[in-house]
This record gives sequence, C-alpha cells and structure tokens, in this order.
Amino acid sequence: MNRSKKQASIFSGVTLAALAAVVLMPLLLPSATLATEILIFALAALGCNLLLGYTGLLSFGQAIFFGGGAYVASLTMIHLGFGLLGALFAAMIAGAALAALVGLLAIRRTGIYFVMLTLAFTQMAYFLAYTLSDWTGGDNGLLDVPRPPLTLFGFEISDLTSSYAFYTFVAVMFMLIFVFARRVIHSPFGTTLVAIRENEGRASAVGFSTNHFKLLAFVISGGITGIAGALYAMLLNFAPLSNIELLMSENILIMTIIGGTGSLLGSLLGAGSIVMLGDLLSSVWPRWMIILGIALIAVVLFMPSGLWGGVESLIKRWKERRSGGSEKAAKEAEAK
Amino acid sequence: MSLYLFQALNGIGLGMIYFLISVGLTIIFGLLNFVNFAHGAYYLLGSYLCFTLVSLTGNFWLALVVAPVAVAMLAWVTEKTLIRRAYHLPHTFHILITLGIALIIQELSIAVWGPIGKTVAVPEALSGVFRMGDFFYPKYRLFVILFTAVIAVGLWLLLERTRFGALVRAGSEDAETVSLLGTHIHKLFALTFALGVGLAGLAGVLAAPIRGVHPFIGPEVLGLAFVVVVIGGMGSFSGALVGGLLVGLVQSMMTTIWPQGASLMIYGAMAVVILLRPYGLFGRA
Repeated sequence: MNRSKKQASIFSGVTLAALAAVVLMPLLLPSATLATEILIFALAALGCNLLLGYTGLLSFGQAIFFGGGAYVASLTMIHLGFGLLGALFAAMIAGAALAALVGLLAIRRTGIYFVMLTLAFTQMAYFLAYTLSDWTGGDNGLLDVPRPPLTLFGFEISDLTSSYAFYTFVAVMFMLIFVFARRVIHSPFGTTLVAIRENEGRASAVGFSTNHFKLLAFVISGGITGIAGALYAMLLNFAPLSNIELLMSENILIMTIIGGTGSLLGSLLGAGSIVMLGDLLSSVWPRWMIILGIALIAVVLFMPSGLWGGVESLIKRWKERRSGGSEKAAKEAEAK
Repeated sequence: MSLYLFQALNGIGLGMIYFLISVGLTIIFGLLNFVNFAHGAYYLLGSYLCFTLVSLTGNFWLALVVAPVAVAMLAWVTEKTLIRRAYHLPHTFHILITLGIALIIQELSIAVWGPIGKTVAVPEALSGVFRMGDFFYPKYRLFVILFTAVIAVGLWLLLERTRFGALVRAGSEDAETVSLLGTHIHKLFALTFALGVGLAGLAGVLAAPIRGVHPFIGPEVLGLAFVVVVIGGMGSFSGALVGGLLVGLVQSMMTTIWPQGASLMIYGAMAVVILLRPYGLFGRA
C-alpha cells in the first residue's frame, strides 16, 4: 500500500528518469530536431500504451488521431488564426472526439473483430483525407503549417523558431502529459483498466460497465495522440497524408511494443530507439523497415516485455547482486 | 442501362476477387484461430510473381498456376518456422508476428521490384471484348468471373465433401479433440494456412492484369478483406461470398456516381452494418 502511494507521487523514480532523459537527449543527440521527433513519437506511443499496455486494446486506429490532430491544428492555425496553445487544444479535442467516434463503433465488438475494425477505420480515415484534398492537400499534404510563438496571458515567452526553443516547449508538454498519464494509471480508473485487461468478464461481473471504461481510455489515448500529431505538424511545418496512413498506426504500435507495453518509460525507449534507427538508416538503406519487421517478430517470440523489460531485469539483477551479500548472511542465519 | 450492367459485372468480378482473399482469411481464422495480418502482403507477392513470370515467359497461364502455388509454399514454410512458435501465446502476439511478416514481405518486394508500380498485360487469348448485341464487355474480366466461380465451387466441394475439408471443419469446432482422435493437427494447420494464403496469392494474380501491381496495395487489400469479413461474419464461407460481392458491387457502382469516394463508401457501408448488426449479416453472437 505504502509502496503504491510512493509510486504515484509526482517525483517518483520513473518520472525523474523520464525528466533526466528529456534533459540529456538534446545534449547527446546530433540535433534538437531529432530529439523533438523522439518526444513527439514517445507521446504517440504513450497514448497507444494506455490502450494496449493498460487496457489490453490493440488499436490500429492511432493514425486517425495522430493525423486528425495534425490536420485540425494546421487548419485552425491557417484558417482561423489560432495560436500555439489554441491549436494544440483543438488538436486534443479533435483527437479525443475522433477516438470517441471510432471507439463507440469498434467497442461494439471485442477481441479480433475490434482489432479489424480499428484497422478498417484507419483505412476509411485515410480515404477521407485523400478525398477532402481541398482541405488536406490530398497526396501533396498540407503545406506551410505555421509554428506560432508561445504566448501566455498576452506575453510572448518564446518565438519557438530555434529548434532548441521548440524542443524545450515539446519537452515541457511531454513531461506534463507523462505525469498526467501516470496519475491516470495509478488512479482507481487506471486499476480498473488493468482489471479489464486481465479479465474483462470478471471486471464486468464485479459491476464495472467495462465499455464505458474502454471508451474513456480510448478518448484519453486519442487526445494525447492528437496533441502529438499537432506537434509533429508544427515541427515539420507540414502535415503529410502519411500521418493518417495505416503505416503510421503500425509504426506507433511497433514503438510501443518494442519499447515494452505496460510501462510508460518503455514508450520513450521504444520511440527513441526506432526514431534514431530510422534517422541513421533511412538515408543509407531505404528498406530499413525490414529490420522493424524482424525486430517485431523477435520481441514477440523472445522478449515479450520489450526493451524496457530487458532493462528492468538488468536493474533487478544488479540490485540483487548488491544486496546479495547481506541476503546470503540472513539465509545462513536462518539455516542455523 | 448498359452502363449499369457493365458496372454490375465489374462489381461481381471485383467482388469475387475480394471473396478469394476473404475466404482464405476466414478458413485460417476458423481452424488456427488467428487473423493473418500478412494476408495483404501475400496477395502482393502473388501479383509480383505473376508480373515476373509473365515478363519472363510471356505465359499468363503458367503464372496463374505457379504463382499461387509458390505463395502457398512460402506460407507453409513461414507457418513451420515462425507462426507455429506463437500458437501458445495470446491473440495479440499472433497479430504482431504476422504484422512483422507483412512488413518484411512488403519491404523485400520493394527492394526486388522497385517502389514504382508495374502493369501486367492481359493474356493474348483474352484480350479484346466480348460482344452480345450492342453490349460490350472485356473478355478477361468475364474470364475472372467464370474462373473464380469455378474456384469457389471447387473450394466448397473441398471443404464440404472431402476428408481434408471435414478435418478442417471439425478442427474449427474443436482442434484438441481432432488431435486426440489421431490427426496430425500441426500438419493440418500448416496445410490450411498454405491453402488460405494461396487463395490470396491467386487473387493477386487474377487482379494483376486489371489493376496492375503497386507495392503499397497490401494494407488496402487487408483493409478490404476485413470489411468483407466484418460484414459477412468471420469463419463463414457464404459470409465471405456475399460480403465480397456486396463490397465489390458497392465499390463499382459508386465509381460511376462518385469516383473519388468509392473506396470511402465501402468503409461507410461497414460502419452502417456494425451499427445495425454488430455481428455481421451472417455472424453469430
């Protein structure tokens, strides 16, 4: 009991580890743009992880919320003159609303049908974005997406034109959402989600209306993913059609799984390793995605808890070795 | 009037190709109890093999036989080496393994055949049009309808009238019991997976002269097959047939009314079915 309370506090080890990673990344990586991309996809993976890792819902619909968030933020900035925070808020609402819509339909079915429906809806969203080319730019993507300055209460804090300034802003957003996601997971709502993941029939028999919980998880995931999409459009100054493709859903899923489901740091690790891998390889070898396919199969067969699971077991072993001496003594005393 | 007949025939041809894809997906799901997310990628491979065989030998008929068999053999090997290892794992993991296979096949195809689409010529004997009075229809498309109809009947006979079919159907109900009764269930699994995937490869070959080959068609095909099985109900032969024809007809009719939205309407139709009949037109709860 005491332990779980400690974990839920804002300044827990996990949050501090995420903070350390966020501070160190721009110093260690070749460019702030790469670090920004990592954090944006870490946000998307975080949203995916809430569904897959904590609720047990495998969603191929994440591209709808990512692409939808990107389009809505871009369009509100271009046509309605929304500022930075306004556009992000609009993207969050759009992502959440799209997730509610997809969720309402997909949750009507469980198991494999649910997965197939989310995939079919991603295809639908793709064709919708393709058809509405007057708004989305179709195949060419939506060009000239602005990156407005950060203003709070009328004061301009930063114009965000330098890549480090924008990184700092994205990093603050990431930490806020990371802490929020931790609060969600450790709340009674979050534990109910885990109960649904473990045994939906039992959770429902105990009296939880599991569909409402699943829908709300979807909405939260969609909101987070929508923000990620909006930040991505601001980073690139461009909202390509590929944002809303099935491949984007797959990429987000693969980051989540390779990083490790059921742990928020895993999402950061997964997004970081795959974005960096893509950055390193895509110019040398355009077919580098083959490695992703192989890695996905390898993780499923040999390392189901993902990279973060591997890190965790290393930490555990290290701790055991450190406390090994005293434990041994205790055991010997017990034997006597 | 003849325009609508033309589009209706197009829709039936397209629908029969969708049927081939979906029935393979359905057979695999029925027995092995997992959804093959690499189905679209195997279709893609069938199309590309058809392209290569036709450009090497100039013989479409050879491609029609060899390409699906080659795809089925590859599927048999993947089942033996990879998919088999995942049977004891949860559902999600099957999906992820086949997703990995799909990525590998797609990227390897681009590496081999390049990122730009290819076209496959209609075989000599079937080029030109069939005419009846003042109605014209491409011979090849007519052939696709007749050929797939024959395949559908053959498949039905295979599933309903042979020992293999009886085992597949029994295994779909209760694989463990079938195994206990002395059937080598793993052999049956591998054969069924190869058969289902081979049908996707065959669909890829048949569609190649009509729609060409495009390296990113896999996800679209997978999405369409999902729509068909969501509408028709998973694990049902007739559901795949009716669902496939319905989707094909909606798509080709919409092409005359609203070309840009044709693909969109299929998914719209699926959403309507889900709202009204969450378990599909033929599905059981």
